[in-house]
Amino acid sequence: MLNTLAVMGQGFLHALTPINLIMMLAGVALGIVIGCMPGLSAAMGVALMLPLTFTMQQDTALIVLGAIYCGAIFGGSISAILIHTPGTPASAATAIEGYQMTKRGQAGKALFTACYASFWGGLLSCISLYFFAPLLAELTLKFQSAEYFWLSIFGLTIIAGVAGKSLVKGLMSGALGLLLSTIGSDPGSGIPRFMLFGNSYFYDGINVTCALIGLFSMSQVFILAEKKIKERAQASKVTDKMSLTRAERKTIRPTILRSWIIGNLIGILPGAGASIACFLGYNTSKQFSRHKEMFGKGSIEGVAGSEAANNAVTGGSLIPTLTLGIPGESVTAILMGGLIMKGLQPGRMLFNEENAIVTYTFFAGFVLVQFFMLGIGLLGCRGFAQISRLSDAILIPCVTVLCVVGSYAINRLPEDVIVMFVFGVLGYLMRKLDLNTAAIVLALILGPIGEKNLQNAMIISDGSPKILFSSVICWVLIALCVVGILSPIFMSKMEKKAEANAIAGTTEDVEQLTEEDLV
Amino acid sequence: MKRFLALILALSMILVLCACGAGGGKANDGPFKPNGPVTLIVAYKAGNGTDITARILAKYAEKYVGQTIIIDNQDGGSGSKGWSKLASAKPDGMTIGFINLPNFNSSIVKGLGTYTIDSFAPICNHVTETSLIVVRADDDRFPDLNALVEYGKAHDGELIASTNGAQASNHIGAQAFANSAGFTYKAVPKGNTNEELTSLLGKEADFCVAKAPDISSMTDSVKVLAVFGSARLAEMPDVPTLAELGYYQDWLGSSRCIAAPAGVSAEVISFYESAFKQAMEDPDYLTEAASFVTDYMDAAATAELVKQQQTFTESLATGFWYD
Repeated sequence: MLNTLAVMGQGFLHALTPINLIMMLAGVALGIVIGCMPGLSAAMGVALMLPLTFTMQQDTALIVLGAIYCGAIFGGSISAILIHTPGTPASAATAIEGYQMTKRGQAGKALFTACYASFWGGLLSCISLYFFAPLLAELTLKFQSAEYFWLSIFGLTIIAGVAGKSLVKGLMSGALGLLLSTIGSDPGSGIPRFMLFGNSYFYDGINVTCALIGLFSMSQVFILAEKKIKERAQASKVTDKMSLTRAERKTIRPTILRSWIIGNLIGILPGAGASIACFLGYNTSKQFSRHKEMFGKGSIEGVAGSEAANNAVTGGSLIPTLTLGIPGESVTAILMGGLIMKGLQPGRMLFNEENAIVTYTFFAGFVLVQFFMLGIGLLGCRGFAQISRLSDAILIPCVTVLCVVGSYAINRLPEDVIVMFVFGVLGYLMRKLDLNTAAIVLALILGPIGEKNLQNAMIISDGSPKILFSSVICWVLIALCVVGILSPIFMSKMEKKAEANAIAGTTEDVEQLTEEDLV
Repeated sequence: MKRFLALILALSMILVLCACGAGGGKANDGPFKPNGPVTLIVAYKAGNGTDITARILAKYAEKYVGQTIIIDNQDGGSGSKGWSKLASAKPDGMTIGFINLPNFNSSIVKGLGTYTIDSFAPICNHVTETSLIVVRADDDRFPDLNALVEYGKAHDGELIASTNGAQASNHIGAQAFANSAGFTYKAVPKGNTNEELTSLLGKEADFCVAKAPDISSMTDSVKVLAVFGSARLAEMPDVPTLAELGYYQDWLGSSRCIAAPAGVSAEVISFYESAFKQAMEDPDYLTEAASFVTDYMDAAATAELVKQQQTFTESLATGFWYD
């Protein structure tokens, strides 16, 4: 125990080195820029910046990726508030109340609330990271082949069920991803399957990072390019002071705490991410609010509820990523790629004598990143607001180049760029058909884990499927899978309610405004 | 604002292109001496075991090579991507690389690349890791190796060994041991050594074969029953060898050798041979390299080792595995 505390303290000292501090600053700033540009998401930001971390120290590399992650999730709120366009899907719910506040001339107050709530959401989520990650890492010894098999199934049911609008489309996307995950050598026998580009290129399966850059970034370029290029709306001027009164801070305190718990739990669930958390956080803040009449007209509680929840996801989703090697959402899937590239395997090994210092330096960095986010957010909001209206005419070529360079830089293989483009087209088609691209990425990661562990379990049991039902953890996971499959029913009810309320509120508000305007 | 951003992006792209295009050099006449940065290919990711030891060696070898050494991580295809690149590099002494035995030999047997052992000119050996037979420290069934063998024979086909992959190095080790001891077991391919050891500690597997550095951080939770080969290891003098106990006779483990693409001149080989030898004898290097076994072998001995491992790996094709 004392030992662990000493390592935690040491982690802070390591995180405070000048290079790490500079990288936190740069990472957060870059993250906010990426986040506040509509069209660039947190997953894209982390994927595109991953190759730049190759030459860095283990801890610095992880800190940079974590900083971009947190910054981007917060950054989305800036454009949500000022131009009514969420910079990332994670800030969709923030746009509802945030833009109403802007219309009332309270843009500064809205930005401050978003920044303040993001800060607390992120900071509080670090608590769970510090406490639960090592505990869960110890538990991983209880996770053997059968348990891992169910865990991967659970991740897939969650992503299929929760993340999309339709369960059938979610399952279709997941199944397509599973099919693609069978490319490469069989995880049990090593026999090659569906090999293209010679014997070795697909030996380890499809490069997930390339697939991800294609699915998220390249497909976005296609979608942006398809529309007529137009200048974005002028960002509203921030006229009021960026602050909250003491009373207002007190009002949003319980909201932030509730949203922290919601966001944190959503984060820990494999597959569910920040875009779901923001709606749940927003909805809950409305249900518990004493000022329900303010919702739809610019409620600080609404902004705080959404922003605290989406940033609380960050720390939470790192927990299964670091301990079980099952990423909590697509951003942490790439972060896990970075972890493995740096020679760190998820699991107990991250907390042993050799690696604990790197892990706790990363955790400490993650805590410090929240303070940088608060500082940069408060000081730089006005500047970032200008970036958020960068024309697509500049954005499209820049992102295209980053996609090509990013996918090439990983292994310096031209085949990787082809794979990236193929997945770009696939992602474009899937988004046109309303299929779920995140499900493909998770299936690419979870498919081989599930397949390998099913094979291993069958070797151990001499082919008897009983082994899959042989432990308590198995049954718990099976129960969770069922919940995962059924969750769209609950989720769609909750989300519809939240959105319906929000839309109802907004339209009322708009109508009122027009009436006022007419008068 | 927009122009400024566009300019910055354009400049950074140029920077990336320049960074990609730099390097290279031409050999002079006379005794070989590299006249530009030397590329050292590592067929695994940055941070991997081979990468870590390679970087330590490269740091000290630069003094004796007289040039910067650039580590080029070419990961993928079980190492075959990197070895393909090394085999097809220009044999001018500016590109050399690590080949990892016996994974390198397996990749040839499996046909993952288009190279053979003749596509490479070995320079020297750097690190040797001996395979060990490992069980949980608190597993009272197996106080020593004979107990494990007795148990295996009495419960034929029941013992479970986790491995780092189907027919990967630790699977070869477990199979060689079980074949020589005359029992059968179930091999569970885990994909990497980390998961292999987690499987052992989580009581899914009964025993496994691992290399010494893999278990250095878990001395409390595992015990070593035997080492492969006929010579005991200096760091564990009490652990018997498989050969002295009368089981599998030959040494098994992994070797990280340095090689050049075939076709380099003899001067190139002897230049690097002596440069790396001096680096491996450098006192500062030895201090930093204390955590692993540096095992210098000259070019001839290394070539012999590569051949011997190739013959061994090919012999596994017949009658070694259960079918």
